[in-house]
Amino acid sequence: MDRSKISAGHHYLAPSVAAPSSELLFGRLGAYWQTLGVTDPAQVQALTEQVLRRAAELPDTPLLDPLARALLVCGDLLDEWLARALELPRPSRQLAAARAALLSGVAPGWPKALFAPPGEAMDGLLDTLREAIAEPTPTPVVGAMPTQRIKSFTLLGLVRVLWRKLFGG
Amino acid sequence: MANSVQTPAPIGHALRQAGFFTLVLFSTLIALGLLVSVFHTDGLSPIELLLLLLYAILFSWICISFWSALMGFFILLFGRDRWAISRQPGTPPDPNAPPPRTAILMPIYNEDSQRVFAGLRATYQSLVDTGQSDGFDFFILSDTRDPDVWVEEELRWQDMVRAVDGKGRVFYRNRPENTSRKTGNLEDFCTRWGGHYRYMIVLDADSIMKGSTLVEMVRLMEHHPGVALIQTPPVPVNRESLFARILQFAGGIYGRMFTAGLNYWQLGESNYWGHNAIIRIQPFLDHCGLPKLPGREPFGGEILSHDFVEAALLRRAGWEVWLAYDLDGSYEEIPPTLIDYAKRDRRWCQGNMQHLRLAMSRGLNGISRLHFIMGVMSYAASPLWLLFLIATGVAAYLQTQQELVYFFGQNWMPVWPVSFAVEMTTVLLVTLTMLFLPKLLALILLLKDEKLLRAYGGLAGATWSVLLETVFSVLTAPVLMLFQTKFVLAILMRRAVGWPPQQRGDHMTSFKEAAFAHGGHTLIGVVTGVLSYWYVPAFFWWFTPVLAGLTLSIPVSMLSSSITLGRQARELGLFLTPEETDPPAVLRYLAENLEDDEPVLPVLQDKPHSRFIQALTDPYVNALHLSLLPEREPPGKRRRHYLEGLIHHLEEEGPDSMSAAQKRDLIADPESLQRLHALFWSRPPADAGALP
Repeated sequence: MDRSKISAGHHYLAPSVAAPSSELLFGRLGAYWQTLGVTDPAQVQALTEQVLRRAAELPDTPLLDPLARALLVCGDLLDEWLARALELPRPSRQLAAARAALLSGVAPGWPKALFAPPGEAMDGLLDTLREAIAEPTPTPVVGAMPTQRIKSFTLLGLVRVLWRKLFGG
Repeated sequence: MANSVQTPAPIGHALRQAGFFTLVLFSTLIALGLLVSVFHTDGLSPIELLLLLLYAILFSWICISFWSALMGFFILLFGRDRWAISRQPGTPPDPNAPPPRTAILMPIYNEDSQRVFAGLRATYQSLVDTGQSDGFDFFILSDTRDPDVWVEEELRWQDMVRAVDGKGRVFYRNRPENTSRKTGNLEDFCTRWGGHYRYMIVLDADSIMKGSTLVEMVRLMEHHPGVALIQTPPVPVNRESLFARILQFAGGIYGRMFTAGLNYWQLGESNYWGHNAIIRIQPFLDHCGLPKLPGREPFGGEILSHDFVEAALLRRAGWEVWLAYDLDGSYEEIPPTLIDYAKRDRRWCQGNMQHLRLAMSRGLNGISRLHFIMGVMSYAASPLWLLFLIATGVAAYLQTQQELVYFFGQNWMPVWPVSFAVEMTTVLLVTLTMLFLPKLLALILLLKDEKLLRAYGGLAGATWSVLLETVFSVLTAPVLMLFQTKFVLAILMRRAVGWPPQQRGDHMTSFKEAAFAHGGHTLIGVVTGVLSYWYVPAFFWWFTPVLAGLTLSIPVSMLSSSITLGRQARELGLFLTPEETDPPAVLRYLAENLEDDEPVLPVLQDKPHSRFIQALTDPYVNALHLSLLPEREPPGKRRRHYLEGLIHHLEEEGPDSMSAAQKRDLIADPESLQRLHALFWSRPPADAGALP
């Protein structure tokens, strides 16, 4: 690419904010939750507060700004709930698939379940989720495919064969 | 192995092969005899000897094709081949044995995902129509490297699963490394999931198969436990350019005769064409692990055209390989233009030339060796024809330089030169008959079946189509000859080819592209024409079909790529095929799937600028992609540094500054994928439209 066109101060992603205002945090996290399917403002507020509390407890990571860290916590929160509700190991491919199923729109009422008191029946939702979890491949059945030998024809080989036929050994 | 191999082929099989090769041998000898009688009068000059040698090779090659077509003609004329696999009752399967499970495999590599899934879904729908789809699972075996195509495939797969309720029946995986290309792709399937299935049906990215054909293939395998592979003849369909429609017509009308003929003499020693075939998995696992050939490419290294080799290895192990010439409902798509056709040849050529070495390998069956040689000859014939034409031109020129001597020694009576016009004309006519008679025979066969005749456009339409197709093939043959000669020479000079994906969709050839590809051909045509007209005028007129093909190659290539001309020809009733006049349900499904592309997944309804960016920004796409990544050990320190470098690169310079491989590396790593998702949401790019 033509690097001369890139000014030193202009980056593709917006500059990182070391100490984001709570307005910025709530605004961005709120937008994220809404994209995930949480539309009730009260739920958005509660989830955002929970995420921020957790994010504050995490150690600083030089590669991620506070907002990015908080966004990762959003995913953690979802995974935690999914792992518990669906009894899935964490981390695992199935859990990631469950998150994809949740976000695919098959179970639009899921945010309500997130706030449901423990023990409240949500079998319908979980069944829908289980049904929507992608199964990319069957369980492996390991088999062997031994490499075959293909012996090229050579003059020397022909002489050897003739020798064996004529003189044995 | 050979635990389930049947008894040796009956004596009739051997007699058929003996009869066939006797015909090939005798016709070659007769033609050679005629040529020798012309040359022999004053001894053989070196150039005449060369001509004889080349003619012997090329004529025997034509003979195999001609006699196969003739045998096919008689089989189709009388309506049956009692030794065809479909006609043999075989052994009924054990009723107590579990029903067979079959995996339908579609290996793909950077293909058009929409077309791939539309085709696969059409095959699935057709299979469901049979009511016997329970025994089949579908696998999309992706070797795709392009990150945008990769993500698109994942979404299309998930969409298909939702649309057809195919959870646990339609599978998808993308290999982290595409080691050994298609061979490695299939080997990966066989060693990981092959144990679940008794058979696999291998498709190509553009293959479409009728459900009833799939069911019949499995039934045939169940009844013939000594058969490891059944190949169906794929009929070319669905293209609209004039070039492709002509080839589709030729493939349909002549193809069925040739495949019937091939089956006549090959029987259980047939070949594998790489797709649209059913394979018994266990013997494939046991005997088809391909080695790397010693030495460097192009003759050494990985085996490129694996199909012939796999068939030969199965035969070596005692298994039968059949061509089910009479199984219809097997389709493929062909390159839409002459240049794309040549590009495909370029890729196939190297694989086939590698077979030259394999033909001489120890322990293979005679017919397997012949398959290898036939594969080599389908490309090596071109340089040999070119050499033959050059040698003929030189011989003709030398003859013009000789002064005729009428009086020898003390003889006062003149000795008149002997004319061999009759013999030469006979040689020429025999050669032309062998090349063109099959076309006439194919036309005659249509008269037998009124429905089929109508499907090919009626007698007038089919006759005109055959005539025009013949003219077109005469015009394009010299161009393909030069293309293939160039490819063979490049390979002999050890200039290896990559394995680029095909450009499969219809598209016009521009003047620039045509001039670039055919400029040299035109020049050769003009220069050779002028030279031959000047120095050997008699030869010039014989040479005009070749010269016309070369000189007109640019306009022919451009015009034949035209979709408008292809459609107009169709309206005129030219080059019609049964699949065009009365498309089977599976092809109608494909057309519907492509036309009404209404995905179930809302995210697929958007057409974002980049699926790669969508995988970083859209929480659903991000999560789906993450869930499809293989579970691997976390990357080492060096790899981690590399990935962090890529993340910074993306943060600073954006995706357009990155290569496809770099982007793929980023989204192939779960940690980078999640981190970038968070980064894109915390620091959205100036182009905020990137976020959902």
